[in-house]
Amino acid sequence: MSDAVEMHEAQLVGEAEWIAASEICRLCRLEPDAVIELAELGLVSPRGYAPAQWQLPAAAVPRLAMAGRLMRDLGINVSGAVLAVELLEAQRELERQIRRLERLVSQLPE
Amino acid sequence: MEYRDYYKILGVARTATAEDIKKSYRRLARKYHPDVSKEKDAEQKFKEMQEAYEVLKDPEKRAAYDQLGSDWKSGQQFRPPPDWASGFEFSGGGRSRGAGGGAHVFEEEGFSDFFSTLFGGASPFAAAGRRQPQAGRDHHARMDLDLEEAFGGGTRTLDLKRPELKPDGTLELRSHTVRVTIPAGVNDGQLIRLAGQGEAAPGGGRAGDLYLELHVRPHRLYQLDGRDVTLTLPIAPWEAALGATITVPTLGGAVDMQVPAGAQSGQKLRLRGRGLPGSPPGDEYVQLKVVVPPANSPAARALYEEMRAKLGSFDPRADLQARP
Repeated sequence: MSDAVEMHEAQLVGEAEWIAASEICRLCRLEPDAVIELAELGLVSPRGYAPAQWQLPAAAVPRLAMAGRLMRDLGINVSGAVLAVELLEAQRELERQIRRLERLVSQLPE
Repeated sequence: MEYRDYYKILGVARTATAEDIKKSYRRLARKYHPDVSKEKDAEQKFKEMQEAYEVLKDPEKRAAYDQLGSDWKSGQQFRPPPDWASGFEFSGGGRSRGAGGGAHVFEEEGFSDFFSTLFGGASPFAAAGRRQPQAGRDHHARMDLDLEEAFGGGTRTLDLKRPELKPDGTLELRSHTVRVTIPAGVNDGQLIRLAGQGEAAPGGGRAGDLYLELHVRPHRLYQLDGRDVTLTLPIAPWEAALGATITVPTLGGAVDMQVPAGAQSGQKLRLRGRGLPGSPPGDEYVQLKVVVPPANSPAARALYEEMRAKLGSFDPRADLQARP
């Protein structure tokens, strides 16, 4: 056990920053084939000609990581994971809108 | 250390078949998966289920677990027998692999002491099947922060647990504290990378990085939309009608803002560059909300009466009239 407090400068990964597909595979714990299939199904849009040279936007990491978790933990296939991620994102966006509308309604005069 | 009843956690009988266990795990995983579930404590419950399934789906681990006997109760103080797991053959079935492949030592983080002692690091089960990672993996964690921190940056202290391989081949979960400097102007969903703070690599290889996914908590005053923030500003009717200079809070400190004469409730004014920093920086939108003073005194009533008399031609509902 170490109690030492280390100081670390954080390096910000810009949303627009492109990350190599191999790095994404490590980060999201996905096999390269799974990333290719997820891209073919439209979950992410890589740039580059061949998958070996692909790069993906940093902004895609959370949804790829979620797809990876759902596939591993729930035993669903790639198509199912894409559908689940898109539906969950849509659900969260709707919940955000509902909260925003509830705030607006609460500000209306009685 | 407390005993864990893995059969109870997965809701199956001790006589359950492998297929029953798999079905029950799948059903519960669907209910408690942290990405999907809205249940309270979903994450904790899901970890417990993963731990239970890790043992019960593997015939060798299940047999060894069953050997402990069925008299134990969940939560009961437990110490493994001295000859624990002796007499078993290990086929090398360490952690199972999913879509990710490779050695998944990191996933065991959050499993109980009970699991770690019986099946983790130093146990023959783990030693049989572990592979040496070539380079440390990147770790991924979530960090919640307030809008003020996103605006101004700051330092945060994080307690992290990192599995490390000891020279004798056993695994140890080391706690360490990292102080992170958050740059000013970060936004919801952005990633922060801490180089070398992921999984350590054995044999001096490159340690993985730690990626922190930032989540900005909802704020009492401001709504965040990209880099822009919106503030609802209550104003008096005379401030709206005659115009006024009003002191308005912004993330960077209060500023004076000119409300133009004839302003209306719902109108938005923009304070350029007063949102989250960046290039370009976001703006603060100030949405006006005219608040009508109550007519709760003779003087106030008289004023409203006078307004009705003198401003009688004003029709706030003119737009509602049917148009030809």
